[in-house]
Amino acid sequence: MFDKTDDKKEAKVLTKEKIDLQRLAREGQAALTVAGTSVRRVDDPLKVTGKLKYGADYPAEGFLHGKILRSPHPHARIKSINIKKAQELEGVAAVLLAKDVPGRNGFGAIIPDQPVICGDKVRFVGDGVALVAAESEKIAHQALSLIEVEYEPLPAVFDPREAMAEGAPKIHEKGNLLSYDKLIKGDVAAGFAQAEVIIERTYQVPFLEHAYIEPDMVMAIPQPDGTMLVEGPMQAPFTTRRNVAPVLGLPINKVRCRQIHMGGGFGGKEDSPIDIGCRAAVLAWHTKRPVRLALEREEITLQTAKRHPMIMEVKIGAKKDGTLTAFQGVIYDEQGAYASLGPRIPPAGGSHVHSMVMMAGPYEIPNVKVDAYLAYTNHPYGGAMRGFGAPQVHIAHEQVLDELATELGLSPLEIRRKNAFKLGSTTATGQVLNQSVGLRDTLEACAKAFEWDRRYKQTGYLDAQRSKRRGVGIGMGWYRTSIGTGFDGCGANVYVHEDGSVLLYSGITEMGQGAFTVLPQICAEELGVRLEDVRLVTPDTDLVPESGPTVGSRSTTLMGNAIIMAARQVKESLLETASMMLMVPVERLESKDRKIFDRDHPEKSLAFREAAARCMATGKRLIGQGWWTPPPASLDGHTGQGNPYFVYTYSTHMAQVVVDVETGEVDIEKYVAAFDVGKAINPRALEGQIEGGVGMGLGYALMEEVVITDGLIQNTSLQNYLIPTTLDVPDIQPVILEVKNEFGPYGAKGIGEMPNIPATPAILNAITNACGGRVRSLPADPEAVFWAIREAGGPPKE
Amino acid sequence: MAHAFEKLHWSRELEFGQYLTPGSLDDALQMLADGKGQARVIAGGTDVIPELRRRHLKASILVDITRLPELRGITQEGEDIVLGGLVTHAQAPASALIRERAGLLAQGCAAVGSPQIRNLGTLAGNLISGQPAADASIPLLALDARVTIASLEGEREVPLKEFFLDVGKTVLDSTREVLTRIRFRALGPDQGGCYLRLSKRKALCLPMLVCAVQVTADPQAKVIKEAAIALGPVAPVPFREVRTEESLRGAAASRQVIAQAAENASAWCSPRDSLLRGSCDYRQEMVKVFVRRGLTKALEQAGCTLD
Amino acid sequence: MHPGLKDGNMSTLKLSFKVNGKLTSLAVAPNALLVDVLREDLGLTGTKAGCREGECGACTVLLDGEPVNSCLLPAMKAAGREVTTIEGLVQEDGTLHALQQSFTDQGASQCGFCTPAMILNAKALLDKAPHPDEGQIRQALSGVLCRCTGYRKIVQAVQNIAQGK
Ligand code: FES
Ligand code: FES
Repeated sequence: MFDKTDDKKEAKVLTKEKIDLQRLAREGQAALTVAGTSVRRVDDPLKVTGKLKYGADYPAEGFLHGKILRSPHPHARIKSINIKKAQELEGVAAVLLAKDVPGRNGFGAIIPDQPVICGDKVRFVGDGVALVAAESEKIAHQALSLIEVEYEPLPAVFDPREAMAEGAPKIHEKGNLLSYDKLIKGDVAAGFAQAEVIIERTYQVPFLEHAYIEPDMVMAIPQPDGTMLVEGPMQAPFTTRRNVAPVLGLPINKVRCRQIHMGGGFGGKEDSPIDIGCRAAVLAWHTKRPVRLALEREEITLQTAKRHPMIMEVKIGAKKDGTLTAFQGVIYDEQGAYASLGPRIPPAGGSHVHSMVMMAGPYEIPNVKVDAYLAYTNHPYGGAMRGFGAPQVHIAHEQVLDELATELGLSPLEIRRKNAFKLGSTTATGQVLNQSVGLRDTLEACAKAFEWDRRYKQTGYLDAQRSKRRGVGIGMGWYRTSIGTGFDGCGANVYVHEDGSVLLYSGITEMGQGAFTVLPQICAEELGVRLEDVRLVTPDTDLVPESGPTVGSRSTTLMGNAIIMAARQVKESLLETASMMLMVPVERLESKDRKIFDRDHPEKSLAFREAAARCMATGKRLIGQGWWTPPPASLDGHTGQGNPYFVYTYSTHMAQVVVDVETGEVDIEKYVAAFDVGKAINPRALEGQIEGGVGMGLGYALMEEVVITDGLIQNTSLQNYLIPTTLDVPDIQPVILEVKNEFGPYGAKGIGEMPNIPATPAILNAITNACGGRVRSLPADPEAVFWAIREAGGPPKE
Repeated sequence: MAHAFEKLHWSRELEFGQYLTPGSLDDALQMLADGKGQARVIAGGTDVIPELRRRHLKASILVDITRLPELRGITQEGEDIVLGGLVTHAQAPASALIRERAGLLAQGCAAVGSPQIRNLGTLAGNLISGQPAADASIPLLALDARVTIASLEGEREVPLKEFFLDVGKTVLDSTREVLTRIRFRALGPDQGGCYLRLSKRKALCLPMLVCAVQVTADPQAKVIKEAAIALGPVAPVPFREVRTEESLRGAAASRQVIAQAAENASAWCSPRDSLLRGSCDYRQEMVKVFVRRGLTKALEQAGCTLD
Repeated sequence: MHPGLKDGNMSTLKLSFKVNGKLTSLAVAPNALLVDVLREDLGLTGTKAGCREGECGACTVLLDGEPVNSCLLPAMKAAGREVTTIEGLVQEDGTLHALQQSFTDQGASQCGFCTPAMILNAKALLDKAPHPDEGQIRQALSGVLCRCTGYRKIVQAVQNIAQGK
């Protein structure tokens, strides 16, 4: 492959505000009363009664219904469009074409390369060619069918390697190679020379659909003062606003984005609200009426971002004792038609760069080289999906490690014990891990809970007919907390009122992960009030400070710190006031459970609300603002060396499966997943993240795949895009370890994405252990497992 | 290669204008006749509604037959079991009669969709959908079921073997006829049945392969008297592997015979290559496994354990 | 009012049925689906729609006590019958149904989109078999997809009630 030097400059990193996080990290569970406990989720009463309003639950009265005409071609030039018939249909308020976009005709989470309405050409089946707004959903649909578009089909390209080849059809003007990045640590040639065993393998993963159960929708409501209000389920209101404003030709302060509670997001509702938000806003801008744009399930699959498919070539070398000497990887990462969240945002943002950084796995390897290519194709596009480029490469490194272990005659546990990161290890990017490295602890804890030694010995056939065979497997992983971009800040405001009640303003969204419970927990803990005293303001770009997107497993840690900073500002003035009221020096005062008291003489106390009322009466500060950015990220554009992310979460999963060696069917019998999370702020909610993540990882291993022919997705509905049911997911046993993160609130680090990542290879490795065959191109559905067994020369004899 | 508008654009609004709820079978048949081809029967709706939504099916009048008392119930008539046209996939396996005397049908019904879908969808609808791998159709086919079809012209009884015409097509015309009864012989003590299914997930999933087997055996002599093997999807319609069945008539109930039968069945059937539900090659291999396992289990149930 | 009615070319039908114990009568379009009548005409938005073709189960309601997909049900099928939605489980005084409480205690709800359907399916099971085992619970819930929880806490929430905890 060709080499291309990266000339992107690193962005300036914002300075980190001072906060005594070391002290926080050191604080043990004993000192905490609200944070660190499994309080019930704040939003539960509304959820279990059906009262919680999701986007679709808002009445559609008075709204126009927006719809999108989609391209039937993967790649074509638009020759002409006739909208006359559609415009004449009664009840149609607007039919819009590219020329009607008031501002920039492009949106995108990183690069605005996707047209709001395509003007000259279309780049995937599903690209938006015209927009319609009508009085009813039915009329809007009918209007779409009346639009006549003449296309000149262009040759299309569906494979990233073909897309990069000389003479390939050009999808975008600047060429099909969207990003090339490389990582060089040590000298791989020398590393392979030292190796006693070298193996090379290729692994492949398909596009994946998020399959959140709540369909996407958005409402764009023009305000009397010319502001555009965009409401809907969205993970990143600020990113949506950053796109809607230029598309309408408005300054940022004239667009307001408000989150409605999400029925799941998993990264998908980072992109899609930008897409439908911009489109609904353009329709609302033209019609001057509120517009509601809701996608049917099939349309979501057709139109919105997916998990990137990849082809990963791996070469790995080791000494006979299992010590790794070199790792070389090439990633062909398929972006699809538009850039979405794929390309690099300096220094270390973008899913593509993340894949590169993570590819060698959480192992000490002195010599590493990774070449990562990200290419446009005429397929739907890849975006963020729970793990952001990491799940794919874990599938490669965890499998190749097992394949190497087999060559070396080592057990999967032994080879990991030999090479796993520990405190002081150096990563593939040259980063020294000098704090909060609990990987090996998770390995041992998982092995113990799973009873690895016993189960590893008890693999083999279950029946006399030799049709069912049992096996076990390990998946290990690491995941960042933060996004590695220049801007990775979180702002929070805390208002204490004279009656002691609190409003917390944060832009971190709730999609089911529990942010609306965990963040108030941190706020209550820090102020010394009860959880029910804190009310969280739903993210609204007009009200809450910029918080960045709710992605990258960053919320609890980054926003948690910002909240602590904000709360401390208020607490300072509360304690000063209390000090005068109690005649006790500030240093001796503590605030807990609605009481401020003298640590040495706890009977000397007053109610939190009394101090608040006094502050109010005397004009003392009751508002705090916190702003926290992680330690600066760095990653050299030429060598891929640096400190891309400031802390990592670690995990080990173990699975026991039974494979029907005659049919290829897989049953999961036992599953244990151990995590080093720094600190569990709400252990029960954390377990929920683990169990749900593992469920999703199992789907990736066993059944999930977006099937595309001639650019058209064949399984757009949930009938054919399969995600695990109650009968597919086993009883997952979570194990939580806490190796404190110096930079996290009470020592916490991220957990949102980690759980699904090692689950996939753990299952794949267990399948191989059970049946001898290895599925290197996902999913490992019964047919794939069946052929893998054939390829391995049939099922094991014993 | 422009893809169809219907595959890229969806509307939640269903395109039918009349919903009729007859109180008797005669009324229903009259309403259908009055509809002159524009009316269609709806029972559970688990096929009709999605098909209308996908615009695969066009009908302007729906005639809901779920309130017809004459179509209810599971009864035994001599050695026959008779299912009314409205018996659902949940009701069939809930009946002790079906579980004990037609276990393979109980299993097939229990594999359909989800509990909610089984509460709605009827066995008759499963037959009428004409899908080659329908979970109730395959066991009913193995049970040599016959169906009664009513129209204004009167009633007729059709053996299932002659019922299916092509993918999605049967001898029943849903614009004027109603399937009123399904009848088959209950399994006797010298008989056994087995239902097997292969799918990518364990619930809510269309099958990659379905196989139902019914055997009559002489356990003393260890001889297979009769065997019925139904498979899907290995042809455009639910399929009886007649040649294999014939080769088994009077054959010894041995592992070797069964293995040979499985090989034959696999060689003689020709499943389609499906992107979503398995290649032809794989499904042929699976026919081999399923016919072997199915015969073995059915024989066991008939009191004929293989050594 | 259901959007179908606005076209004016369809005669409406009168639908009378019991919803959460209350006798309810309203005019519906012939092509109206129960899910939309509940959500739009009756404001019972606790019933969700995730796929509209019977695959996600989010739209589950109880029809005469049996769970069904309300997206597959022409509204007129409910005529003369009793429909229970998640809203019908809460007692008049606001007390939660034991299952609702158990889901909260167990943390069985994440995004919550599948929660009403899960609870209704579990209720139908427990009404028939008060002490189901884990297999029966998983079977009864197998028609509702949850992308968030991995099902463990949902199954546990039902188990806790089954075991009288
Ligand atoms: S909306 Fe009814 S099953 Fe999905
Ligand atoms: S909690 Fe989100 S789908 Fe179940």
